[in-house]
Amino acid sequence: MGRILIRFSEEQVSEPIASQIIIEYKVPMAILSAHINNKGGEILVEVPDTMQEQVVEAFRKRGVTTMVPKLIEVDSEKCFSCGTCIALCPVEAIKTDKDHTVQFDKEKCLGSTCSICVDACPARAIKSVKANGNENRDKKS
Amino acid sequence: MSQDGKTRTIEEINQKIKKGDAQVLTAEEMKKLVESSSVEVAFKEVDVVTTGTFGAMCSSGALVNLGHSDPPIKIDRAWINDVEVCHPGAAVDLFIGATNMSEKHNYDYGGGHVISDLVAGKEVELRATGVGTDCYPRTSVKTTITKDDLNQFMLLNFRNCYQRYNCAVNSSDEVIYTYMSKLLPRLRNATYSGAGELNPLMNDPNYETIGLGTRIFLGGGQGYVIGEGTQHSPKSLNGTLMVKGDAKQMSPEFLQGASFTKYGTSMYVGLGIPIPMLNIGLAKKTAIRDSEILTDIVDYSAPRRDRPKFGQVSYRDLKSGSITINGKKVRVSSLSSLKMAKKVSSTLKEWIEEGTFTLTAPIERLPTNTVCRAMRQTEEIPFVVSVMHPAVTCTEDEDIRAIATRIVTKSVNHIVVIDEAGKLKGIVTSWDITRAMAEGKKALADIETHNVFTAKPDEPLEVASKRLAQHNISALPVIDIERKVLGIITSEDVAKLLGRRN
Ligand code: SF4
Ligand code: SF4
Repeated sequence: MGRILIRFSEEQVSEPIASQIIIEYKVPMAILSAHINNKGGEILVEVPDTMQEQVVEAFRKRGVTTMVPKLIEVDSEKCFSCGTCIALCPVEAIKTDKDHTVQFDKEKCLGSTCSICVDACPARAIKSVKANGNENRDKKS
Repeated sequence: MSQDGKTRTIEEINQKIKKGDAQVLTAEEMKKLVESSSVEVAFKEVDVVTTGTFGAMCSSGALVNLGHSDPPIKIDRAWINDVEVCHPGAAVDLFIGATNMSEKHNYDYGGGHVISDLVAGKEVELRATGVGTDCYPRTSVKTTITKDDLNQFMLLNFRNCYQRYNCAVNSSDEVIYTYMSKLLPRLRNATYSGAGELNPLMNDPNYETIGLGTRIFLGGGQGYVIGEGTQHSPKSLNGTLMVKGDAKQMSPEFLQGASFTKYGTSMYVGLGIPIPMLNIGLAKKTAIRDSEILTDIVDYSAPRRDRPKFGQVSYRDLKSGSITINGKKVRVSSLSSLKMAKKVSSTLKEWIEEGTFTLTAPIERLPTNTVCRAMRQTEEIPFVVSVMHPAVTCTEDEDIRAIATRIVTKSVNHIVVIDEAGKLKGIVTSWDITRAMAEGKKALADIETHNVFTAKPDEPLEVASKRLAQHNISALPVIDIERKVLGIITSEDVAKLLGRRN
């Protein structure tokens, strides 16, 4: 599954753009998170890999900003498996294995649309990484 | 073991260690052995039980002696990698406190990171200034140093190894950042600290074998207990240790700088104590389980010393990942690392088995009867309740005109909107009303603010005053736990009281 972050402006938010695309392309779209009101906002969706490009293109044609979200990357050298991040994660993407080593499930993680764990890590081991490889620590909480 | 098989001495154990046949178990292994056999069998078979903990220990630091520069300087202020360090003594002795923050990177780098970098062999930048005296004429110095350049580099931690610690939650409506890490609003997460049944002091709670001179695992090297730590409070099972050790021999894996966003910096310290099985009572004590170690669930959103509690939980519950508070499931995670705590106890076990670590008897045991007192305060501080006054209220079905009249007759600027039960629904200001009248609006619902910032009666006034400034507002309804309106405070009240005191 591929993830797309869709950003609606104030004008776009009242139009049924997402529903139109779902119907037109017959694409199953799961909404993972949404921060949206009548002033615009963002939703994070998941679509089948094979349709990701097509969907991005479809939104862009309608003038909607789309992005493939930044991922969370954990520096395993720095992480000392304290576990502070675990209970903060809204989607239970962080677990410990048998020997209490903390593990992130990149499939589940919401990436830069969430980032709740980033500023809580005492070892500063968690960073959000842009898909194009540019690193940038996300201070948003 | 003595003839009757009932006691062992430290000397006997050390003899066995030297011969390479001491029986050493980690605390975790010992508990399993006692459960699968018996205390008697475990006592007979085991000579030493190793414990361990790895957590943020803020009252830590390192004492360094730089050697003299030429011409010499009597340091007045000094910085290492932009972290200010203290100068508690003569010319070139410095103390690097783990919680001192970098002037450039604040929460991201501090004294704990400086110590960890030095331990790792990294080069750090030293800047210092002095006043210039006849014997120490120099007034500034700038250089780079590594641990090899230091005469002494001694870890000196004045409060480590808390026997157990609180579980922290936040019942307020906003995220708070504390030394117990990030706490999400409305009890959405909980944090705790400590290794529970692996903690050194929990395995010898009467400190039979721990005190001045006990050799320990400290930061990946060998160190010593030099007494009780500050706030040592054994009567409430909150014992602490003061420890020292040669930091040049330590490892950055077991001494790591830490950052608590919007709180400060600290240092994670690995600390382990070998408990010699001198008698069967000690063997029994090292069998303690997480389910027997209880701690309080404390609401850190209360800006007071004595914070409200939500009952108790055991370390077993805490380690399970979720606890129940008021019937609600709350996910909980640890700030200290269980993985590293185990590594401390297993490394200490290896050292003893290899014969590179022998045991010492304390010259003086830790006190068992002290308590930690609160600060003596000679000045009273004001609380919200001291300035709060009755709020002028209305209900949502009232006409805007009636409310406007009330604003005039009562000469107030804020009307608190309540429901039939007296609970907070919203707030309207005289400005909202004026605008509504000008725009011809009639319904209160169109103009009232629902997202209201509030205060609690037992909050320090200073905290409420900060909230007013932070959100650029001029009044806070005061509510109780059930959101019932008790009164209101305005920025004028606050200015009158706080202003008068200054
Ligand atoms: S908070 Fe940081 S150091 Fe702790 S387990 Fe998570 S990633 Fe690792
Ligand atoms: S960024 Fe959010 S979803 Fe991803 S691991 Fe951190 S807390 Fe979980």
